[in-house]
Amino acid sequence: MDEVIRTEKLTKKYGSFTAVSEISLNVRKGEIYGFLGLNGAGKTTTIRMLLGMIKPCSGSAYINGKKVSPGDTELGRNTGYLVEIPYSYPELTVSENLEIFRKLRLLQDKTAVDKVMEKLNLTQYANRKASHLSLGNSQRLGLAKALIHNPQILILDEPANGLDPAGIFEIRELIKDLASNHGVTVFISSHILGEISRFATRIGIINDGVLIQEINTPELEILCKKRLIVNTENNADAKSILENSNIIAGINNQNQLEITDEKLILNPGVVATLLVNSNLPPSMLFVSEEDLESYFLRTIGVKN
Amino acid sequence: MRKLNVAIWAETRKIRKSKIFIITFIVFTFIPLMMGLMMYLFQHPELAEKLGIIGTKAQMFGDNDWVGYLSLVNQANASIGLIGFGFVTAWIFGSEHAGHTMKDILALPVSRNIILAAKFIVSFAWCMLLSLVLLFVSTTIGLLIGIDGWSDTLFSDFVVRFIVSALLTLLLASPVAYIAGLSRGYFAAIGFVVFTMILAQFSGVLGFGPFFPWAIPGLYAVASDAEGMVLFTSSYIVLILTFVSFYLLTLRWWNNADHH
Repeated sequence: MDEVIRTEKLTKKYGSFTAVSEISLNVRKGEIYGFLGLNGAGKTTTIRMLLGMIKPCSGSAYINGKKVSPGDTELGRNTGYLVEIPYSYPELTVSENLEIFRKLRLLQDKTAVDKVMEKLNLTQYANRKASHLSLGNSQRLGLAKALIHNPQILILDEPANGLDPAGIFEIRELIKDLASNHGVTVFISSHILGEISRFATRIGIINDGVLIQEINTPELEILCKKRLIVNTENNADAKSILENSNIIAGINNQNQLEITDEKLILNPGVVATLLVNSNLPPSMLFVSEEDLESYFLRTIGVKN
Repeated sequence: MRKLNVAIWAETRKIRKSKIFIITFIVFTFIPLMMGLMMYLFQHPELAEKLGIIGTKAQMFGDNDWVGYLSLVNQANASIGLIGFGFVTAWIFGSEHAGHTMKDILALPVSRNIILAAKFIVSFAWCMLLSLVLLFVSTTIGLLIGIDGWSDTLFSDFVVRFIVSALLTLLLASPVAYIAGLSRGYFAAIGFVVFTMILAQFSGVLGFGPFFPWAIPGLYAVASDAEGMVLFTSSYIVLILTFVSFYLLTLRWWNNADHH
């Protein structure tokens, strides 16, 4: 089965409010699907529908070709998940919390707890009560619960929350390893495009409950806007000179010339030569590339 | 069966380590201790007068013998049991919501139905243990302070009534579990327990106690022949139907509600 996670017009409404609207997506085996959106965009609701925790108003979700239904134990066997902020039983230690989930996941391997603690650098906190853990370590414990049974499908809702940069790096490498070396299919939500684009193979952008774009990560660079920025002693004259040669240039809010013509972005020398020959040599000329956050905000309509 | 055993183990582990587990046992030990103290003071009115604690004319324990004492223990078991068992059930079912751990037990190889059954089994075991503590401590205190009128028959009759009364109270757990789920926490469930206890008092006054589920265990414990306090076969059926219907409602809620 190549298609591991699939949704068909998945919709959830609360009264007149539509939390998720007709989302159709599919995630193939071994793929890391980044599900990107602002807070309240509908990421968690979608994830909860994928896990059978919320019933869709219409549409369906399928895991391994089987329609998701509430309390499906087969889904529970193959899937590891972390939804929103992870909480654990506060009076129990890290290892006791994990032992509960080892048992509830019907794992025979008694070393599973030790292994997952080692994988997530939790061994030194094994005997610490969950209520005494830092936010980052609580997050690790949540991830450990999701990973303890070595699931073939991982559904993670903002797993980097609360982690320090080193922790984020570790989790990113762990997820990449699981997907590329163990064939684990990962569905991961985030609100940070820059972070998710580092390891997701495909990205879906959700806004106001609507899946507005799906991109293969390598295409992201192409989609990010590029501009040729030029500065001269007199940008108004330079603009006229360029326009006389049929080159459209705008003036940005820093009073610099801005050219968006793709051919000129690839050959900025053309602009430089023209200005030098007109006795207005550029004091600055460079290609500016839109960063991923700007691209994301522009895509969802927050930023022009 | 393995899945149920695993779920029971998990539930037991959760409660065994919780502070509330110890607190309930302290409360259920403290209450018979206080009853024993009162009984002792009734037996020694001169001491009570000297201490100025309670009126010496009170006849709380009838003739201050085992009959009166055990009758009060039975009443305590029914009324404290109603609150205590309700509190335990509210905690077992509500704490998963209050602690935001509910989502972790909804998509596992062990089904929600089994986890729910395990929660009921563990709450029953916890409540019965509390009742046994009440029984043991109150009997021991009674023996220590030397109450008059002990008889083996009296005691065995008391134990049977005590245990049945506790079992009848346990049947009121499912409405509490349902409210805990519906309200996603334990506060509303505890409020519901207090509310039903007040209603149980009114139902007795108004005469429909034998058919009001929350009054039935109390009426059984009191075992009075007075009008409006006699239980019928239908009373027990009402109680069983209450348990079964709310158990099914809880099951439906766990399986069909949106779990945010």
